[in-house]
Amino acid sequence: MITTVVGNFPKVAEAGFGTKVISSISRWQRKELSDAELEGVFQGITKAVIAEHERAGIDVLTDGQIRWEDLVTPLAKKIEGFEINGLERWFDNNVYYRRPILRKAPVRRGPILVDEYRAAKACTSKPVKAVLPGPYTFVKLTEDRYYKNDSRFLRKIAELLNEEAKALEAAGAPIIQFDEPALGFGKPPIKLILEAIAIATRGVKATTALYLYFGHLNGFLEPLQKAPVDILGVDVASDPQAVGAIRKVKWTKQLALGCLDARNTKLESVTELHALFDVVAKRLPLDRVCVNPSCGLEFLPYEQAVQKLRRLVEAVQTYQGR
Amino acid sequence: MSMLLTTSVGSLPKPDYLATARSRARKGELDPKELRRLEEQATRDWIARQEELGIDIIVDGEQYRGDMVAYFAEQLEGFQTSSLVRSYGNRYYRKPVIAKKIRRKRPMTIGWWKFAQGLTKRPVKGMLTGPYTIMDWSFNEYYPSRRATALALAEVVREEAKGLERAGAQYIQIDEPAISTRLDEIDLAIEALGIVTKGLRAKTITHICYGNFQALAPKLNRLPVDQIDLEFANRKFELLDAFKRLKLRKEIGLGVVDVHSHRIESREEVVANLKKALKVFKPEQIYVDPDCGLKTRTVDEAVGKLRVVVEATRAVREELLN
Ligand SMILES: [Zn+2]
Repeated sequence: MITTVVGNFPKVAEAGFGTKVISSISRWQRKELSDAELEGVFQGITKAVIAEHERAGIDVLTDGQIRWEDLVTPLAKKIEGFEINGLERWFDNNVYYRRPILRKAPVRRGPILVDEYRAAKACTSKPVKAVLPGPYTFVKLTEDRYYKNDSRFLRKIAELLNEEAKALEAAGAPIIQFDEPALGFGKPPIKLILEAIAIATRGVKATTALYLYFGHLNGFLEPLQKAPVDILGVDVASDPQAVGAIRKVKWTKQLALGCLDARNTKLESVTELHALFDVVAKRLPLDRVCVNPSCGLEFLPYEQAVQKLRRLVEAVQTYQGR
Repeated sequence: MSMLLTTSVGSLPKPDYLATARSRARKGELDPKELRRLEEQATRDWIARQEELGIDIIVDGEQYRGDMVAYFAEQLEGFQTSSLVRSYGNRYYRKPVIAKKIRRKRPMTIGWWKFAQGLTKRPVKGMLTGPYTIMDWSFNEYYPSRRATALALAEVVREEAKGLERAGAQYIQIDEPAISTRLDEIDLAIEALGIVTKGLRAKTITHICYGNFQALAPKLNRLPVDQIDLEFANRKFELLDAFKRLKLRKEIGLGVVDVHSHRIESREEVVANLKKALKVFKPEQIYVDPDCGLKTRTVDEAVGKLRVVVEATRAVREELLN
């Protein structure tokens, strides 16, 4: 079992790499810090965060999304046609983000995340995966005032994400991950979503992953076995029915098991994690399972985020050593 | 006959001298006694202001509170404080952590309520944060489930509500802004709130904001309170449509001014909106107030908004009586 993370990590660490990002962003907003200086701060923290993951013993890393306020605005800000608007709630969390509105035909002028991906990759010899919002989540978190047509908007976003995925692949990303938390809420149009995922992953030769987190699985594990991705991520902390759902499905994909609750500070015991691995092992061979926290770790304070990483590694090492 | 009584949702802006004093007190540069004196001064001023404006049901303005959950968490036994977590953008806060059994060691709001009521003959509302919201906005390391946490919190909030009633409060408001985030937990929120309000003779109110009201509307009659306070102004009174279909068997707190905008609404527009509301609700069913707490506005903006609430309501009352 390989250990990995879902995406983001705390940007501040009072007991670690410090809280410099807060004052740096304020100073940049007041134009007392240049873009290049702020970028230097971000890269310094990215380096520290990658080192945290390495120290904890995580196998496959991300860059910690230190530059990201949320999953969609880093892309929406760089795609022409979007305008960033007022605060909205981030799914079912007491956390907010600024909702982008599409007012004109969206145009991607070039690679968006490639520079920051390359900078992160240069910090470590471990594999670093690239994370993108899934097309459905992108569409649900933004507002379309241009197409006024859900399926056309979704297909167009999937095409733009596909261009970005290919650019990240060319930059050396061994895994391209699409996050689809929006699938956990309401009544998602699953056929249309499968089509959008096919567009987003078209021609990508790197390993592809689709991560679900928050809300409920809504019986989607079965239809998603047909999605053209290699790895399917499941958050078993948010949906009490998730473990049962994993057991019922005939797995054609690799499973990324979101087994530590990344939204609560309570630390899971090794024993309860082993019990969960046992259940999963009955369903699919463990060389097709990787493990990670239930979602990005940024909902947690720094100390607890690190504890969760260490516990994940400890649970896997002791399980395999049995 | 009492009808169209005016009130506010709870918080009012802190004057500059108090904001400065609070930040100095946090750094240990100001004697807590001096801070208390300034908080009392600001409370006195707000009560005098509300009387001058002619508000019917007064609030103490929460000059001594910061965050609506942290204020209670800091006084209850069992809570700790986390290191920084991000709320949105570049904003961070310390999220309460439930680490042990929750106990109410002493009254949390009753002293301030008595102080405020001692300054005016008009009724002063008791202001509490509801158990579901405290649970949802805290980490939990002690209780086995979200339900167990909410029910334990309900017991301590109930003790506080009983204490306010014993002290003479005729109105007790229990805010539950989190209730609209997870509609699959509405039964739990109702159960917890029911523990707080059971057997109270005081009029009970709950304020709910930032949510999906179309989905929440059918549940409103089940909330165990006498009055439900909602934001109408920042949704351009579209919420009224929901109440045309649903017959609300409770009083309604009608938010008629937007707390997120700097613009002071005109008397004419508030009058027009009140008249629209009177087509849906009975006059004795309506309490008129701002959408939400005014603490993010300047003192002048808050006074301006409260003034238009009172003046517009008076104009409509007179028309109804003549
Ligand atoms: Zn509110």
